[in-house]
Amino acid sequence: MPDIGVAASTIVSGVLLGGILALTALGLSIVLGVMRLVNLAHGDFLVVGAYAGLFFLKFTGVDPLLGLPVIALIVAALSVPLYRFLLAPLAERGPEARMMTMFAVSIILENVFVLAFSADTRSIELSYATLPLTIGSFSVPLIYVIGFAISVVLILAVHWLISRTGFGRDLRASAADAQAAATLGVDVERVQMLTFALGAACAGVGGALIGAAFQFGPSSGGAYLLNSLAIVVLGGLGNVLGTLVGGVVLGFLQSLGGLALGDGYRDLVGMALFLLVLAFRPDGFLARRSS
Amino acid sequence: MNARAGGAEVALIGVAFAALWFAPLFTGDYGLQIAFRVLIYLTLAESWNLLAGSAGLVSLGTSCFVGLGAYVAFGLLNNLDAPLPVALAVAALAGGALAALVSPALFRLRGLYFTVGTLALAELLRLTMVNVSAFGGATGIILRDDPPPLPELFHYALVVALIASLAMTACARTRVSVILRAVRDDEDAAAQMGVRPFRVKLGAFVLASALGALAGGVQAVKLGAIEPYGMFGLQWSIDVLSMVIIGGVGLRLGSLVGALFVVALGEALADYPEAHIAITGAILIVLIRFAPRGVVGFAANLPGLMRKWAVA
Repeated sequence: MPDIGVAASTIVSGVLLGGILALTALGLSIVLGVMRLVNLAHGDFLVVGAYAGLFFLKFTGVDPLLGLPVIALIVAALSVPLYRFLLAPLAERGPEARMMTMFAVSIILENVFVLAFSADTRSIELSYATLPLTIGSFSVPLIYVIGFAISVVLILAVHWLISRTGFGRDLRASAADAQAAATLGVDVERVQMLTFALGAACAGVGGALIGAAFQFGPSSGGAYLLNSLAIVVLGGLGNVLGTLVGGVVLGFLQSLGGLALGDGYRDLVGMALFLLVLAFRPDGFLARRSS
Repeated sequence: MNARAGGAEVALIGVAFAALWFAPLFTGDYGLQIAFRVLIYLTLAESWNLLAGSAGLVSLGTSCFVGLGAYVAFGLLNNLDAPLPVALAVAALAGGALAALVSPALFRLRGLYFTVGTLALAELLRLTMVNVSAFGGATGIILRDDPPPLPELFHYALVVALIASLAMTACARTRVSVILRAVRDDEDAAAQMGVRPFRVKLGAFVLASALGALAGGVQAVKLGAIEPYGMFGLQWSIDVLSMVIIGGVGLRLGSLVGALFVVALGEALADYPEAHIAITGAILIVLIRFAPRGVVGFAANLPGLMRKWAVA
């Protein structure tokens, strides 16, 4: 058994990372809720954000955490043509056609990354990224704390956007019943496009945060996609604040699993949790048990 | 219904496979290698087509059952000295059993979670094999005895593909096909008519998974050594998805045409792996948009289209 300070550090780190990934998961969740689309390229949008952060730092010299709005705009802008030219024409064709199209986009993107940026793993090197925050034997990397704080603020911002604004009202209406919303004058296609762009922006910003904390490469997207899905299912589909809780819980349980069984088991715990929650609490474990 | 057409189809399949049995007498190693790959792919595509085309379940977990079949077959061959046919049969049973076990989780949300659930399941199994040293860890397992010679392996693959084709015919030409399509097109309406959607989907999923594991077992014996990254790799799922979309989802000849196309494309672009995958992705996007019933569906519609063009 590792000493208590190390164990506490590992678990707090896990919780912080789960909170960072919750922002990406939120993007996945709103696209799934509004468009009935499991965006299989969501993990690759995250990688786009990570590369955007990397090159933002390289070419401007400005801290990419200050440039997050720019990164969000870049990734959102890239997602709009994907929606217009690939997804919108398939609107009448059921969810499978769009999902498989995004799967094809995902495998193309991964190969584009390899061709454009090589297969090397990289990270966004910030001078303070490696600084630890230490209290006695308890220590977590500063960048995790910063990333977590940014993620929480942005999740709250999205929550405000969805629950308090006119766009949010249209979004909720489209998610509940697209046909009825259209009858009442909601431009559902525009809402879907903006939702898709918002989801992509969440992934992109999440990617910049993750790229500052970790190494990433062209094929990193798949694992983040699956972990994001686990978070969505844990927190309950369509529950914005639940997604944050889901991220924290996933991070907590993953680091617990890693401590108990070895580091290789972290991701395994996530996948097992995903399938277990789907089987036994499909509305998320926050949902009150309906009779 | 369709009893005569079904009988003719079974006869045709029988003749074709009987003729192929003698292929090793006429072709060299390269030809057999290619034919072996086509047969394994055909098996996987038939079972995927059964799931998606008939039951409306889009799986990205082909690799999960291929890998499971490979590991079960190797375990039985290496540790229990099981004869090869027994090992393969148990591998198929294991595939079906796993499908039944996870179906309560995967059928949630009208199948929307099915795709990602199968993806997660494949990842779960891969990570298990990587982490548990009893399963060989990241380096994998080597088959203790030498694999059988290529012509014999080819015959195994031929029998497996025959089983898959006959199972598809049985599902497509009997009352089962009507039930499957009813569930795919409108689950609620089907339930109103007395069909139990969960059981129907479960049956299709178990059968498809058993066939996938069977194909995985044969493939693994041919390789002689397995490791988790290859056997549980996403490439299996990409290839199978491409075959059925290229050939035609839910169409009887779709799997065969798709398998031939994907193997040929793989051979043509063998030296350019990145381009190969990117081109596959582009083909998928174009076909999903413009030819949702694949090459076979497009060809079937061609006479009508020609007439339309001739008139215009």
